[in-house]
Amino acid sequence: MKTEKIFSAGIDIGTSTTKMVVSSFLLKNVAGITHVPRIEIIEKTVLHQSPIIRTPFINKDIIDMKKIEEFISQQYQLAQIAPSDIASGAIIITGESATKENASEVVHTIADGAGHFLVATAGPDLEGIIAAKGAGTLQQSKNTSKVIANIDIGGGTANIAVMQFGEVIGTCTLHVGGRLIEFKDGKIQSISPPLMRLMERWANPLAVGDAAEDIRVTHCIEEMVQTLAMILHGQCRDEKHPLLLGHLPNWHKPVDAIVFTGGVASCIYENECTQRQYDDIGEKLAKMLQQHEQLQSFLWLQPEETARATVTGAGTQTTEISGATIQVDAQVLPLKNVPVFNCHIDPLTDFNSTVKTAVERANDLFSIEDNRSPFALYFSELPYLSFQDVHALCQAILLHLATRCSKDIPIIIVIQSDYAKIMGQTIQAINATVPIICIDQIKVETGDYIDIGEVLPSGVVPVVVKTLAFHSK
Amino acid sequence: MNDQLVSMITQLVMEKMEKSTGSQAPEIAATSTEQPLIKFYDKVENRSSGTTEATATSQEPLIQLYQHGAPQEVTTFASTTFNQPVNDAVPIKPFQFEEESLTESVQAAKKHTPARIGVGRAGTRPKTKTWLKFRLDHAAAVDAVYGEVSEDLLQKLDVFQVTTKVTDKEEYITRPDLGRRLSEESKALIQQKCKPQPKVQIIISNGLSASAIEENVQDVYLALQQSLSNLNIDIGTTFYIDKGRVALMDEIGELLQAEVIVYLIGERPGLVSAESMSAYLCYKPRIGTVEAERMVISNIHKGGIPPLEAGAYLGTVVEKILHYQASGVELVAKEG
Repeated sequence: MKTEKIFSAGIDIGTSTTKMVVSSFLLKNVAGITHVPRIEIIEKTVLHQSPIIRTPFINKDIIDMKKIEEFISQQYQLAQIAPSDIASGAIIITGESATKENASEVVHTIADGAGHFLVATAGPDLEGIIAAKGAGTLQQSKNTSKVIANIDIGGGTANIAVMQFGEVIGTCTLHVGGRLIEFKDGKIQSISPPLMRLMERWANPLAVGDAAEDIRVTHCIEEMVQTLAMILHGQCRDEKHPLLLGHLPNWHKPVDAIVFTGGVASCIYENECTQRQYDDIGEKLAKMLQQHEQLQSFLWLQPEETARATVTGAGTQTTEISGATIQVDAQVLPLKNVPVFNCHIDPLTDFNSTVKTAVERANDLFSIEDNRSPFALYFSELPYLSFQDVHALCQAILLHLATRCSKDIPIIIVIQSDYAKIMGQTIQAINATVPIICIDQIKVETGDYIDIGEVLPSGVVPVVVKTLAFHSK
Repeated sequence: MNDQLVSMITQLVMEKMEKSTGSQAPEIAATSTEQPLIKFYDKVENRSSGTTEATATSQEPLIQLYQHGAPQEVTTFASTTFNQPVNDAVPIKPFQFEEESLTESVQAAKKHTPARIGVGRAGTRPKTKTWLKFRLDHAAAVDAVYGEVSEDLLQKLDVFQVTTKVTDKEEYITRPDLGRRLSEESKALIQQKCKPQPKVQIIISNGLSASAIEENVQDVYLALQQSLSNLNIDIGTTFYIDKGRVALMDEIGELLQAEVIVYLIGERPGLVSAESMSAYLCYKPRIGTVEAERMVISNIHKGGIPPLEAGAYLGTVVEKILHYQASGVELVAKEG
């Protein structure tokens, strides 16, 4: 059986460190010869791992994009791969770096320049999930019925992803990280704003210039770990907790096992702390995590990657392959940063009004004034459709979307179940001139973005489902 | 009891079971409209020990045993005739299977397979529910083989019907060779009605599962037609063959000099689905064509390859066959 190879890159710009991986995927038709083809990634090989460098900054609020670009092109040379060969992969900006003034500009510019199809991503929930995938925790959860929490602790944030049976069942992000307090010459050089808010409750909070050995630093770390333990035990109900970034935990099962990843985790599992050149609380935080009583009740599992979990995830775990029976207008691909709107088909309302409302709401959400940007209409949980149903649905889609599409803005339909070929074909049969992208067997949600790569020789397209959430301070 | 009656009872019991496990209310009084097909009036026992029978009703037998526990019932009963039980006054607890208590991991595993896993056992036997489900699926498979495609569907599809040399189902099963040849009058009919030398000739046969055709053929056929018309590929005159075998396409290919034949035929039913259909494709099938030149897309049904998607995909396969002027092993070789 024929296989095809594509190259993928992953870049992680974190609070304190930046790293990159280059890998190759092997794609193959895994369906039996009497079946409709199903193309899957059957092998992933990491070809090159960059060293972990410090994230360069021009000043406190601006990332030094030039230096990162230099770093990336240097790594491509070492990997002996040209950026134009990169057909997949993602760049993710994580932790406090995602709050910097030029965060959005940095990821989008690098994504466009550093690979033929490289996807820009950001968002604390996605970060946690990518880290869990990169560390092999998601895979581990397939082999056991245990509810496993992967806690990726870097410099700025702890991103928790909880999973069971290979599926993510919840996420949560905390301001818990190794770089929230930085030292210089034995004194505190900086304290991150969330910690300042936390200490507002104290009678005598820490301040810049206090001694690094101050007992209150330990108290501060203790409180961070305590918060993490409470979150994991499902005991935190305070939506306004100063260390909480975004929503409260949204999983509904008790956590059985925990895995730590991220820079701080390398101090837990690998004893690499002596090599750590960072003058911050990372090391102490790792020790506290290991000793904290309330974390002992969990089963501790080993990750496959620690500091490189996120970048490995971004490079090897973000790409999905669409269904093999799809209908795509190759000329409009690749498409980047397409927002998704979920059009829920209610069996009681007719297709026409459902699609009409969905298109109107999506227009309100995604169009900036008169500037019509493309969006994808997503059909989840379609009921069983007959040929006549599909025709009615396609008529409705054309009626409401054909007017707003042009050569650059195709009709983009994403379907969870296997209907893309027939829907695309039916739209084509009704109106042969509209450009359409109709893909299936992809799971997304409203608020997600998708990037669709160019058609591969086997007729499938690589798809990256992602978020683009640059949280503010 | 003959086989059909058994499957009918099984079906009824299964339907009852589904209803009762579906609703949360544990006690439903049996109304006159909800009476089962078979009732057992256990009269002798009733008379002898009325009080013990009252407890027996809660033991949930497989088929409802209408027992008249209340003493006043027994007296009225005795005075009336045997065939007119007055049972609507007694609340009867319908049979209910015990709640399944599957662990999460078994539930997770079940999502990945239609196989009968995690069904438990009663001693060395399968549980009644599993057994009934098995019988039902088996009966559905038998029905599929012996069933017929309705006249209604053929009219909807606007296709005419031809026959093979086979005379009845028994012969169809025991003599595959006869299912591979058209009857003489059918040959004449085809030559008279069909467009000769079509690019694509679509044919349909019930094969070993009439239900496969009933359930899927319309969507597959319409989607395939649309797909071919999008690709500007001409289609010949479609017709339906009663009791055809796959290799019958050779004779039809010979007769009409078709370039590609797409043959939609019911698959031998299994216990997971009795409604699975296959599409066999061949480039220039003629008498003497070897099996290696045929190709197939199988498992077309609601739980497998969705019929619409299969139809749409078939169009592109036909396009490929026409492009390479080959099918089967030769196509794979030509594709490189």
